[in-house]
Amino acid sequence: MKKNRRLATALTAFALIALPGISGSGTAHADATSCLLCHNAMSGKATTASGAEIELRINTQVFQASAHGSMACTECHQAFTENPHAAPDLAVSDDLKKLSSIIGKKAKVDPVAYSACSTCHSDVYQSVMGSVHGRNIAEKGAADGALCLDCHGGPHGIVKSSDENSPVHRKHVVATCANCHADEKLAAKYGHDTNIMESYNESFHGKKYTLGHTKAPTCVNCHGYHDIKSKSDPASPVFGTVNKTTTCGNCHKGANATFVGAITHKPAGPIPHYAEKGLIILTMGTIAFTIAHVLLEAYSDIRDVVFRRKEEEEETKNESYNECA
Amino acid sequence: MSHTMSAPKNIPAEIERFDLIFRIQHVLMFTTFLVLSFTGWGLKYAHVEVSSWWIRIWGGAETAGIIHRVAGVTMLLDFIFHVGYLIYLTAQGKLKFRKETTLIPLPKDIVDVVQNFMYFLGFTRKKPRFAKFSYAQKFDYWAVFWGMFIIGFSGFALAFPILVSGLFPESTSGWIWQLLGIMHSDEALLAIVFILFWHFYNEHLKPEIFPMSWVWITGKISTAELKHRHPLEYDLHFGGKQEEKEV
Repeated sequence: MKKNRRLATALTAFALIALPGISGSGTAHADATSCLLCHNAMSGKATTASGAEIELRINTQVFQASAHGSMACTECHQAFTENPHAAPDLAVSDDLKKLSSIIGKKAKVDPVAYSACSTCHSDVYQSVMGSVHGRNIAEKGAADGALCLDCHGGPHGIVKSSDENSPVHRKHVVATCANCHADEKLAAKYGHDTNIMESYNESFHGKKYTLGHTKAPTCVNCHGYHDIKSKSDPASPVFGTVNKTTTCGNCHKGANATFVGAITHKPAGPIPHYAEKGLIILTMGTIAFTIAHVLLEAYSDIRDVVFRRKEEEEETKNESYNECA
Repeated sequence: MSHTMSAPKNIPAEIERFDLIFRIQHVLMFTTFLVLSFTGWGLKYAHVEVSSWWIRIWGGAETAGIIHRVAGVTMLLDFIFHVGYLIYLTAQGKLKFRKETTLIPLPKDIVDVVQNFMYFLGFTRKKPRFAKFSYAQKFDYWAVFWGMFIIGFSGFALAFPILVSGLFPESTSGWIWQLLGIMHSDEALLAIVFILFWHFYNEHLKPEIFPMSWVWITGKISTAELKHRHPLEYDLHFGGKQEEKEV
């Protein structure tokens, strides 16, 4: 800690010298510029009183390139309760105060800033709070539940979902879901199936996605995203045959009850399982016979050419002799 | 036998083994087979990194998918045409069942397998005397037939799932698609490996045939080769000289 502080001080001094350079190239709000003067140059980590470990450095370039790069720091960081600075002491609305207390366990670093997403993205925030992810945090006070930043990255480098670098862009969204849904500890805690990613990757959807098919569905196309529901919730797009028929029907016009079983995370039942075993035995048996036959025949062909050609020639001679006779 | 002496005069240099229509069926069969193998392989092993590169060569996942479906439907139509053509030839009386020319497996084929293995291993010096189609060729032919039902049907179902889903009751929903997927993918691998070893050795790599049997283009087989490789058919057409010699 002490070492970090000292380093920070030194870097702050450096940053002050470099001030003209930064302010000259920056397009950030004046407020952000002054914060970043120090925070762009700092390094190392600090632990807040609430026990969260934070990076002291905010990369100015990353922040300015982000979707929120033109905003002032204090638009989100409206209040600090525990930090080395004097609190901005802005009037934090009651709504934000309430929300920040709900997500308090999750957002240890700065609950007000984490709640501030709702100022601009109120509809989205509301549907997230009603989702299985949001309710996990709001109702169970889970610190490991997913909220905005767990999917969108950041907090200072959030880019639009249409940006290829966004963790929720089509290119990365499956891996982003996998961060939690392929995690064995979380699977055990929440009772997730552990084969979710494996079964997706082995499905036709997953294989096409892996090969770069531009229309192959990812997790979110079937399960939804901000308002995502547990598969056992009747409101989930993949709950029961009726919902599945609608969901599958979005892409597969005419999807019916038999069809919707085609894509599932469920492990193979006994029929496909034993059919596969049978086919593997058949395949192995055929291949073993084929290879043995080919190798033995090749051996005998070579043997005949090398050792028996003379005999054969003589035989043919005799044959033609017989024919003439 | 009396006709043995006069036989050589009537024996042509070569005879037709496959007519043009069969040859076209074969070309369609192997071109679609290769295209299906190449595009399907990339999908089967999608998780292997090189597969993405391979599928890009085929124009990307969408295009490769379309190519695979077009080739699959073409192959199935080729198969249906083949069966129809066989029925037509039979109805016309041009195709008759004879044990020397049939493709239908007969008990003698099993005897031939045993005798051939004994020949390979040096227990006998007498090669089995094959008819128009040796057991190896019958195996080759029926393997494609098997493939058409298993891989062809499952492939059709996977390519047109909505259409085919009407054929199955709802109670099969939980396993039918996985079963179809396994059937298609596993049997396709079997077909590829089988063709690679069996067909390639017997019709390409075998020293007396290398680099390939030209019958697929010319449709003709020389009588010398016929006598050597298909003595029973030779005897059928040109008399029982062999029998006489054996006595």
